[in-house]
Amino acid sequence: MALKVDYFVKETGRNLFRNPWLTIATVVTVFVAILLVGVSLLVRSGVQNATARWQGGIEFIVFMNPEATPDQIDSVARDLSENPQVETAEFKDKDQSYAEFLELFADTPEFTANITPDVLPTSFNVKPSRVDPELIEGLVLQFAEKPGVREVVAASQAIREIKSLSDGLSTGILAAALLLTLAAVVLIGNTIQTAIFARRREIEVMKLVGATNWFIRVPFMLEGILQGVVGAIAGIGGVYVVNGIVERRVQQADALSLLSSFVIKSEDVFTISIFLLGGGVLMAAIASAIAVTFYVKV
Amino acid sequence: MIKLDKVTKVYKGEVVALRDAEVDIQKGEFVFLVGASGSGKSTMLRLMNKEESPEKGRIWVAGKDIAELSSWKVPYLRRNIGTVFQDFKLLPNKTVQENVAFALEVIGRPRHVIKSQVPAILELVGLAKKLERYPHELSGGEQQRVSIARAFVNRPLILLADEPTGNLDPDTSLGIMKLLDRINRTGTTVVMASHDRGIVDTMRRRVIELDRGVIVRDQARGVYE
Ligand SMILES: Nc1ncnc2c1ncn2[C@@H]1O[C@H](COP(=O)(O)OP(=O)(O)O)[C@@H](O)[C@H]1O
Ligand SMILES: [Mg+2]
Repeated sequence: MALKVDYFVKETGRNLFRNPWLTIATVVTVFVAILLVGVSLLVRSGVQNATARWQGGIEFIVFMNPEATPDQIDSVARDLSENPQVETAEFKDKDQSYAEFLELFADTPEFTANITPDVLPTSFNVKPSRVDPELIEGLVLQFAEKPGVREVVAASQAIREIKSLSDGLSTGILAAALLLTLAAVVLIGNTIQTAIFARRREIEVMKLVGATNWFIRVPFMLEGILQGVVGAIAGIGGVYVVNGIVERRVQQADALSLLSSFVIKSEDVFTISIFLLGGGVLMAAIASAIAVTFYVKV
Repeated sequence: MIKLDKVTKVYKGEVVALRDAEVDIQKGEFVFLVGASGSGKSTMLRLMNKEESPEKGRIWVAGKDIAELSSWKVPYLRRNIGTVFQDFKLLPNKTVQENVAFALEVIGRPRHVIKSQVPAILELVGLAKKLERYPHELSGGEQQRVSIARAFVNRPLILLADEPTGNLDPDTSLGIMKLLDRINRTGTTVVMASHDRGIVDTMRRRVIELDRGVIVRDQARGVYE
């Protein structure tokens, strides 16, 4: 067994250095593809956090006073449900608000430590029948007047634009990443084909003396997978660098601006990295497996 | 040991390389396949180690019907069959002993087996003093000895040789034939394609003659004719 490991390591290394430029081109392509997928996932996760309250067509939120009476809450609930311009109004009690609050400010524990559920307001997340600024403004004014209501906050035009922009952006990046992934698959297949061609004499002898198909294929597959791993690790490094730059920009930003809520939780970055590594390796393994089955037959 | 039953091989749907071939070779036999170039000798050898599959007929090797053999088992069949060619098929970037060791390495033989068997077999073929040479530093006859060592190091039941003396002068060829004869005397079945009249006539072994894919003669202790 030890001998086989030696053999595979030796052969894989030899293949990789036979054609360094092709190897580099392949690794760089995998790197860029992985980086793009990573950045697109970062943007998605950041925007999702920044606009978490405004998902699913929610256009404004009616915050009740923390000390509003159950009667006042009921009356607002009734008014909302009877209003034909309101499609849905979802009630959030103090515990739900607290959970959401913890989620939103997970990265700043010094802030969340001082807050308990009772100081948080209950609220209604409202989805209007149409996304029409005039209609929404009317509703906002109307409900701000009701007894027990502290304030009504509407999704601004800015948020709407950021969401559609980021959706477009991350879709665009993903499309580019997909194309690059395709290029990476082709390049990996090509490196393997080149290596197999360069070693056709050895392969011929191996077949004649009875080496199994998989024994012949493994060094070539490892070569492809190794390129995927190196490219993916570099890509993940790139994702961390991008995340660091964004974080610095966010910290410098005005606390009240929209940018300040553009937080990417470190556990999200980690999840994304694992996903990228797995994806990169899987992609390389599939490309390699296809190439070796295609080019090495008994 | 090897049996062909009404075997027909057709290349690309039109070239009939072998037609209804009937052959039965016993364990330990030495058999010459003779015939003009293009008569189907190489094809018959390639059918025996399943480099090719027949269009019709059945082939038994070491008691197994190899037409039925699934492709993942083919390597295990080939571990019982050594092959030697006119052009040696040595790897130019490996030394003599690395070339022979390679054949054991790639079928996963343990290191200590390789260490003991490689020098032993190279001693047997008379190359004990040239272990570290590269193929291009050897004469044709020596290169063929290396390739025979590689084919035999795993002690196969069968040795297939396709014109192994085709590139060698008569004296050197004789040396190679003595080596193959010695291997045959250890109980290994040898099937050798040749159109070297001198050699076939001196050896006086069984001769199977092919003419445009048809067996026209199968004679014990025969001559080239
Ligand atoms: N791979 C192949 N594809 C097509 N025709 C082939 C192939 N190999 C051999 N042939 C044809 O089959 C016939 C027998 O060839 P071969 O077995 O090589 O004869 P020999 O070894 O006796 O010279 C010849 O007509 C040859 O041209
Ligand atoms: Mg031939």
